[in-house]
Amino acid sequence: MKTITTAHTPQTVLDLDLMPPSRSPWSETWRLLRKNRMAFSGLVIFAIFFIIAVAGMLLTSGRKPVLDPAQVRLQEKLRPPMSVPIPETVVSGTAPILGRYLLGTDDLGRDVFARMLQGAWVSLTVGFVAVGISVLIGIVLGGLAGYFGQRAIRVGHILSWSLVVAAPILALAAKPLAALLAAAGALAGWAFYAWRRRRRGEPTPVLLRWLSWTAIGVDDLVMRAVDIMLCFPSFFLILTVVALLPPSLYTIMIVIGLTSWMGTTRLVRAEFLSLREQDFVAAARALGLSDLHIIFRHIMPNALAPVLVSATLGIASAMLTEAGLSFLGFGVPPPHATWGNILSDGKDFIFDAPWLTFAPGIVILIVLLAFNLFGEGLRDILNPKLRERN
Amino acid sequence: MASSTDIVLKVEDLRVQFHGDGPVSRAVDGVDFEIRNGETVCIVGESGCGKTVTALAVMGLLPQPPARIAGGRILFGGESLLEMPSSGLRALRGKRMAMVFQEPMTSLNPVFTIGDQISEAILVHEAVTTADARRRTIQLLEDVGITDPGKRIDDYPHQLSGGQRQRAMIAMALACGPELMIADEPTTALDVTVQAQILQLLKRLQQHSRMAIQYITHDLGVVATIADRVYVMYAGMIFEQGTTGHIFNNPRHPYTMALLDSLPTREKRGQRLYSIPGSVPHPAYKPSGCPFHPRCPHRRPSCVDAFPEMCDYGEGHLARCPILYGMERDSA
Amino acid sequence: MIAFFGRSVVQKSITLFFVSVVSFLVIHLAPGQPSQIDPLNPKFTREVVERMRQQFHLDKPLHIQYLLFYRDLFTGKTVSWKDSRPVLGKIYERFLNSLPLFILGTLLTWTFSFPMGIRAAIQRNGPFDKSTTFLSYVLISVPGFFFAYVLIILVVTHLNVPVIDMQTFGVTSDSVMVLFMDRVWHLVLPSILGATGGIAVLSRYVRGQMLEIIGMDYVRTARAKGLSYDGVYYRHALRNALLPFVTMFGLMLPGLIGGSVIIESIFGWPGMGRMAYEAILARDYPVILTLNFITGVLVLAGTFISDLLYMVVDPRIRL
Repeated sequence: MKTITTAHTPQTVLDLDLMPPSRSPWSETWRLLRKNRMAFSGLVIFAIFFIIAVAGMLLTSGRKPVLDPAQVRLQEKLRPPMSVPIPETVVSGTAPILGRYLLGTDDLGRDVFARMLQGAWVSLTVGFVAVGISVLIGIVLGGLAGYFGQRAIRVGHILSWSLVVAAPILALAAKPLAALLAAAGALAGWAFYAWRRRRRGEPTPVLLRWLSWTAIGVDDLVMRAVDIMLCFPSFFLILTVVALLPPSLYTIMIVIGLTSWMGTTRLVRAEFLSLREQDFVAAARALGLSDLHIIFRHIMPNALAPVLVSATLGIASAMLTEAGLSFLGFGVPPPHATWGNILSDGKDFIFDAPWLTFAPGIVILIVLLAFNLFGEGLRDILNPKLRERN
Repeated sequence: MASSTDIVLKVEDLRVQFHGDGPVSRAVDGVDFEIRNGETVCIVGESGCGKTVTALAVMGLLPQPPARIAGGRILFGGESLLEMPSSGLRALRGKRMAMVFQEPMTSLNPVFTIGDQISEAILVHEAVTTADARRRTIQLLEDVGITDPGKRIDDYPHQLSGGQRQRAMIAMALACGPELMIADEPTTALDVTVQAQILQLLKRLQQHSRMAIQYITHDLGVVATIADRVYVMYAGMIFEQGTTGHIFNNPRHPYTMALLDSLPTREKRGQRLYSIPGSVPHPAYKPSGCPFHPRCPHRRPSCVDAFPEMCDYGEGHLARCPILYGMERDSA
Repeated sequence: MIAFFGRSVVQKSITLFFVSVVSFLVIHLAPGQPSQIDPLNPKFTREVVERMRQQFHLDKPLHIQYLLFYRDLFTGKTVSWKDSRPVLGKIYERFLNSLPLFILGTLLTWTFSFPMGIRAAIQRNGPFDKSTTFLSYVLISVPGFFFAYVLIILVVTHLNVPVIDMQTFGVTSDSVMVLFMDRVWHLVLPSILGATGGIAVLSRYVRGQMLEIIGMDYVRTARAKGLSYDGVYYRHALRNALLPFVTMFGLMLPGLIGGSVIIESIFGWPGMGRMAYEAILARDYPVILTLNFITGVLVLAGTFISDLLYMVVDPRIRL
């Protein structure tokens, strides 16, 4: 007695009110960030630090800075925080802000507050530039290894590229004949590849076949480079290079950046390897999109989240490294103030003038804490595995 | 009619909520069902309708928080499980009621041999020696149809095939001779041929013992093979219940009908297969009135507001659709 | 198995070769010559410099220098430019000084971070989890040199025990106990400092691992079996969560030679870190290069041991 059958009438039942609100990934991340108190306070502190660093840079630089961190007042040395300067020693225009030494003075009577402001900008630039360099290297190498991993680098590639590199070097070394030979070799290599490209499918002459032997895979090459770099104790390596090179802020930033790209590389490679196998990439490839389009439009946006997290944590570690170098006396050359060298200078007066140790120490602690809290919070938020079910 | 002492498990008005961020999800929203000794009861429904949550609530395995049991009673052999201390529940789990999970691949611990994991279930509940437990484990493995159990017992899960792992899981569930076995889609992750073997195994095992089976699935084909009685679940509620014959021959709820209509059969050869429009509502954003009304081909304006009550068709056949119940009565 | 050994040895030897080349190039291509250490030093006459250059092969082309240096290293003949003592002997002496710091620091790290991380994971979002999480972040963020001074101030002013150097200068006593306690006091502070960062990082890692495992299906299976709390967490979950940490035994190996430059220079501890620091200051290339090479060997040996250990503990990995 099957009296009633389902009426097969097509109808729309998509009722948006009955679905959970759909949010873009960014607004969802922001919402979760707001809920994570530790991460959010990290972000707030970072914003404040950023403003202070920029303001500090503006206030302490230039020919006639508002606050001169290098102003020596020997009569005012080792004054505790909040002390009022002795009126007769104050040269007009060099008075500390609010008429007080907010964080005291050091052994040369320099205003610690002004020096801390100057140091904030140094820490900020070191952190961002160093991490910028390492992230850039990491994304390029990791992306290459992850996306073009199985492609082989052939003997011919290595040969022609080393000739291309060798030619100008030999020319600079004033060896014209050798330079010419190298250039000719490089040209021959280029001609060979152009010829191969035109006659695809034809067998290569036996004599030239060795040029197509596989030397090493792209993935192997990059990963071995990572292995090699990981064999160096990083702080020791940075210390060595910084000690051997002439001291400057740029050296430090570049060296920190050049020695810390391995983590990002591995991360990006892993992301690329898994994303490359996903259906949406296969679909993009089926549509005939170019490799570059697939990498930048389809894979990269999905691979950026973990990179962002590691970059945030990397900034903290770069700032700590810089402070450590400054502390050991290898940092930014004096009279430029950094948090590390304020602390280093202050260690001789640790019992007489503890503020020289505590002001930079606590500030470094707070700023690094902010970065670490924000970075780790972001990691939790972006990790779907650890995200609590809702 | 079975007497009340026969009833192994009785669930009354069970409500489970999930508190995350955002509105509260009412994953199970007033579920009643009962399972008698030696009976196989199927709970059918689409993914996300609360079948697994119900089973986990019975076993006391819901992660709390985020889950919270908001009301109802679960009676196992007459004892209320929700009021039981966790130690009492623990003594029950694995001994008198056991569960087989959906994913045999991930449900076995990769670093212990299957023998370890099965005999562990015996050793926890019974005072036997390790050697006895091992002997019983070999017997169990043989019972569930694993060839050469003396060797297999020392294998790690990754050395077994999917079907063998699920057999090992079933052996683990059987270890202490439970009165109730809850099987949560145990064959979904397996090949069709292996699926048939596992179903046969369950039927055979049940004939030996008087074990009741609560079988959770979305596959009506499986239901037809093994079920004595069926509960159709939707949006955290039971929509229709009855014997397998009732449900397949005389469906009384539009949702059940729609499910049956979307099943490929021989008579429907060459026709376009029906599919239910829309999708299961998110448990936090359920429609008002009858939760099925946005997808229902028979909906009336009243369905939007009126909560559907269970309508009794007799012989234990109940359906939650007053509209069809009214039409039936009028035509009769 | 033999194939795995062979492949590893070949691969790691190649890596080591490149490590040696890179470190050699980094040092020798940097501007400045070691023979120009101190132009003001009157002892450094032109002849002395020339003799030094010859003695240390600095007048030869780079690749010859490279071969000569590593020949000397493998035959154990490398000498320090600073005091002409054999480098390996110097390193061994300092290594013995750093060893107690390393052992105590590692013991502290491992004994604290595991219970902390496991408890935090099991009681996720509870008060213990929240406070240890915050504490870990503080310990990760605190600069070692600042923390060292805070501890020194506390210990010196409140406990009145000296902590700088390996032992109090000129301490002489008939009692072995006094000498021993003096050593211990000097050892404790640098070890704690060395361990704090490790505790913070490792306990977070343990917590993360444990959380991931607790969410696994087989942990639910264990609960469904009726296992007790301990059986579920400490037998089923912990065993899986600990797998990655077995590899850490191998990765600890390079720590043997590292030593912390900063902590050792603050405490005046004559260990490896200090030696490296002094070698860099003096441009003592043989010492720097040898340290680098040994670290490289230890890193590679460490990864190899990790791989082996992982195979032993994880039944899924077999060769």
